[in-house]
Amino acid sequence: MPIQHIKVLRNGTDEEELKVVETTGLPTWDADTKFTVVGRPQSRLEGLEKVTGRARYSYDVRLSGQLYAAVLRSPYPHARIRHIDTTKAEQLPGVHAILSSANAPDDITWYEEKSKLFDKTLRFIGDEVAAVAAESEEFAQDALRLIEVAYEPLPFVIEVEAALQPDAPRVHDKGNRVDEPTIYERGNAAAGLREADVVIEQTYTTQTAVHNSLEPHGCTAFWEGDQLTLWESTQGIFETREQVAEKLGLPEHHVRVVKEHMGGGFGSKQVPWKQTVIAALLSKQSGHPVQLMLDREAENLAAGNRNATVQRVRLGAKRDGTLTAILADIQVVVGAYMVGGEASEVNGMYERLYRCPNVRTEQIGVYINAGPCVAFRAPGHVEAAFALEAAMDELARALQLDPLTLRNRNYSEIDQKKEKPLSMPNALQVCYERATAAFGWQTYQRPAPTGPKRRGIGIAAHEWGGSGQPPAYAWIKLNGDGTVDVVTGTQDIGTGARTGLAQVAAEVLGLPIEQISVHLGDTAKGPYSPTSAGSSTQASVGPAVFAAAVEAKRQLLEVAAKLLEEEPERLEIRDGVVMVEGEPENKLTVAEVTGRLAPHMIIGQGARGPNAKDKTIRTFGAQCVEVEVDVETGEITVLRVVAAHDCGRIINPTMVDSQVFGGITQGVGFALTEERIVDEKRGLVLNANLEEYKIPTVADIPQMTNVPVNLPDLAANPTGVKGIGEPPLVPTAPAIANAVFDAIGVRLRHAPLSRRQLLAALATQAESIDKSAPPHTQEGQS
Amino acid sequence: MYPPKFDYYRANSLSEAFSLMQEHGGAKVIAGGHSLIPSLKLRLADPGALIDIGRIGELKGITANGNSTRIGALTTHAIVAAAKNLPQGLTEAAGWIGDPQVRNRGTVGGNIAHADPASDLPTVFTALGATINLTGPGGERSVAAQDFFTGLFETALQEGELVSSIDVPTNGGGSAYAKLFNPASRYAVVGCAAQVKVENGVCSAASVAVGGLTSHATKANAVEAALLGKPLNEATIAAAAAQISQDLGDDVMGDLHASADYRRSIAPIYVAQALTAAASRAG
Ligand SMILES: Cc1cc2nc3c(=O)[nH]c(=O)nc-3n(C[C@H](O)[C@H](O)[C@H](O)COP(=O)(O)OP(=O)(O)OC[C@H]3O[C@@H](n4cnc5c(N)ncnc54)[C@H](O)[C@@H]3O)c2cc1C
Repeated sequence: MPIQHIKVLRNGTDEEELKVVETTGLPTWDADTKFTVVGRPQSRLEGLEKVTGRARYSYDVRLSGQLYAAVLRSPYPHARIRHIDTTKAEQLPGVHAILSSANAPDDITWYEEKSKLFDKTLRFIGDEVAAVAAESEEFAQDALRLIEVAYEPLPFVIEVEAALQPDAPRVHDKGNRVDEPTIYERGNAAAGLREADVVIEQTYTTQTAVHNSLEPHGCTAFWEGDQLTLWESTQGIFETREQVAEKLGLPEHHVRVVKEHMGGGFGSKQVPWKQTVIAALLSKQSGHPVQLMLDREAENLAAGNRNATVQRVRLGAKRDGTLTAILADIQVVVGAYMVGGEASEVNGMYERLYRCPNVRTEQIGVYINAGPCVAFRAPGHVEAAFALEAAMDELARALQLDPLTLRNRNYSEIDQKKEKPLSMPNALQVCYERATAAFGWQTYQRPAPTGPKRRGIGIAAHEWGGSGQPPAYAWIKLNGDGTVDVVTGTQDIGTGARTGLAQVAAEVLGLPIEQISVHLGDTAKGPYSPTSAGSSTQASVGPAVFAAAVEAKRQLLEVAAKLLEEEPERLEIRDGVVMVEGEPENKLTVAEVTGRLAPHMIIGQGARGPNAKDKTIRTFGAQCVEVEVDVETGEITVLRVVAAHDCGRIINPTMVDSQVFGGITQGVGFALTEERIVDEKRGLVLNANLEEYKIPTVADIPQMTNVPVNLPDLAANPTGVKGIGEPPLVPTAPAIANAVFDAIGVRLRHAPLSRRQLLAALATQAESIDKSAPPHTQEGQS
Repeated sequence: MYPPKFDYYRANSLSEAFSLMQEHGGAKVIAGGHSLIPSLKLRLADPGALIDIGRIGELKGITANGNSTRIGALTTHAIVAAAKNLPQGLTEAAGWIGDPQVRNRGTVGGNIAHADPASDLPTVFTALGATINLTGPGGERSVAAQDFFTGLFETALQEGELVSSIDVPTNGGGSAYAKLFNPASRYAVVGCAAQVKVENGVCSAASVAVGGLTSHATKANAVEAALLGKPLNEATIAAAAAQISQDLGDDVMGDLHASADYRRSIAPIYVAQALTAAASRAG
């Protein structure tokens, strides 16, 4: 079976494709394929290990002679280190190594070369000042207290509007604008506004939210000779290897990155941070393995966050709801540095979600003296949806249209940016239909207010990528006893990738899942796979496993055909048995075939092929929400959320549900409670902990329903799978905000929707609200 | 985060506790440790020595005694929450403290000795007219709950004294507790405890206290006065609850979770909630 290996060579603007191995004739899982393992609920293969506490995470690594590192961080939002003295700390018993700007290599840079590994200029509270490796975490912390630093505090800026003033303190020498604005225009947006019968113009803001993965960032570093091993909590073992090798000037084969189990990353672990290289250097300096895990405070200060935004939105529409113009001016607050990884394209959804001939977006990044942002589950889209989907709701109200009707009227079946068809032009339509039907959108009867409680409903939609792409590789090894090892260099960041990949292999090979082991998370053992970001692991690596399994099966059937004295084309594998078509007696188990072959071995190699070129592959979703608002306390309770998300073929319904429920939960946090709060006078983060930074827990989540949308997308790959990791979070917050408006007739345009904001908004509109009756009636409901 | 160095002593009896306290000036006693250990870890306290009173049997348990019930200082919140012979306002407040781990470790004595302005039990004991029994090397004395809480983390406890028990009257009428939770810790952003008696259809006795608003649990005299002699219905309760602004004066505190204005504006809601539930239990 041919394996495809596509290499894209970029030469100036030319793109050349080099086909290393030809690909043709891979079978596909189309809509008629019958499945035995795929599409069935399957609990996680490592679930028992996790719930019994036996699964080992980065923090659980314990090596002989291991030291523990701690990092001294800048207490100032902007400062210069005048002098640093680590002598007292060095003398503390149990301390083995100390790094700071005084002794760290000067040539290792970070954040687009804007900072050294230990820089003398500190640009946010949490910036690395020094690091200590000692025999216990406690010794390391004591040592930090003994480091003497003379800081020269510098003027700083925290607030985005202030940062854009000409005389603002400069975060970087060139000023506080990250770059020239990114401008997109199609048609003529100004003319589109003039054509409109109704124009909505509003400014929405979204907050800085912190990922707060349950497992913090960190790693254990260990050198054997010039061979460095890193047990790292990362979404990208190969990305980490490449960057660490580059920073330390090592050849890639001298760096091994291992990630077995992971307690979440949500985007914040898709790039290596300074601490990984710091741990490696401390380990080198001390000659011991060094573990450097961030504590919760550092996790909140210096390990990434979702950029705050200010979005000025203008929508123009005809009386019947047809959009004539979409305009968005977007400020993205990036923090003190650009970190890399997936970009936060807040502009993207304005350009794609609705059919509109005249669109203009302008996006600018702004530096401030606070912890840097990094991709956070659907970066840009969560922020954009909060504004765009609320603006659409405002437009619907202004036009006295049902918000769903307005969305349908502006439905886009093509990729308007590239003027290409969408691979699944009706996917969003299906999401609307399934979500609203399961929710009872059309037939909703608003309960009469009870005391201060008011009910309301809201809807929001979104689009996202998630097609997956090459390159990704996998090997399938058939053992003598008929069991299978799937080997790939991807990682399971807590999403259940292991299980999804095992299901693909089991299906192709006709074996029960118990006969499959998936080995991943080790650069030394598996072939290259991409960073688990952009909702792409199953859609990128799944097809590689598929191709490898197809190849292994081809070899297996060739051998079986010899043994059964048959043509391979007439053989099929079912439930671990190789059978001849129409001859039930003529069969061999897979184990019998591999047993005859042993110790020779069948190895299938697979690669991820390219996506269809003539179509644009996107994912879509819609959520309906019912809330209850207490007009006395300002409390918003999300009662229920019904979600429908297009993710192509569903390999494992249980895991898709998990992603949807997790996404909605984060969406509820983003909508209602999560916000990094910075004191503007001193630049201090006031809630760098989980007591004061409020993530929703099981006590706070609504009733959630995920309505499956199983639309195999064969333009994406032969398995028809697209991503579901990020999307479920995107529409939740705007749907909640729209439902709040529906309940009380007051529009909240700033995330999170705090009680204080709600009460203040109610107070300003108090005169116009008749408390005894619902504030308004929607078309199609009462 | 880890605490500064300390020496650890375990007292097996009250007298042993007192002699250890005398021996180690500046030492802190530790009961459930759920307030003390966090403050050590945050390095807000550095007492040098801890005296563990957690195993002193004399300070544990709940015993009914005529018209009042005695709760030993070391009784955990979980045990109070499950008790049958205590006013409902107290058992429900204890059941809403933190989470199961906190309720299984935290003690009633530690809670009131710590006197966190956001704690629930000071508010409840104040409203219920409880008596705090204190023991020192020189003997016992009793202080009314209302006088025990004197300021932010401040009480009438004197150097060398321990809280030994709390006497809670059980004939005070219907009682209830209402609070706005801090969503993470479950401490009270605003808490209100109320106890009322109804005779001949009108309120014959009312005792109300609020917490989370000012430096310490506050008795709501104006609210109480507005209830006496009135039938307890929605209108009279709302009118009385509105009086809470009189009782609070200008001293309402604000923080990250809730501004002073917000707390002040929602206080009447929780006062009314507690009163409504207490009235329905007054029989
Ligand atoms: C996560 C979390 C959530 C919480 N949520 C709530 C909540 O919702 N509501 C609430 O009210 N509380 C809450 N608490 C506090 C909890 O109830 C504490 O347990 C309680 O306040 C202190 O009791 P303790 O036995 O743990 O005291 P310790 O921590 O052992 O001691 C606290 C202080 O009291 C002193 N002390 C202890 N016992 C005595 C005694 N008998 N005599 C004199 N001094 C004494 C100690 O020296 C120390 O200064 C929470 C705590 C945590 C950690």
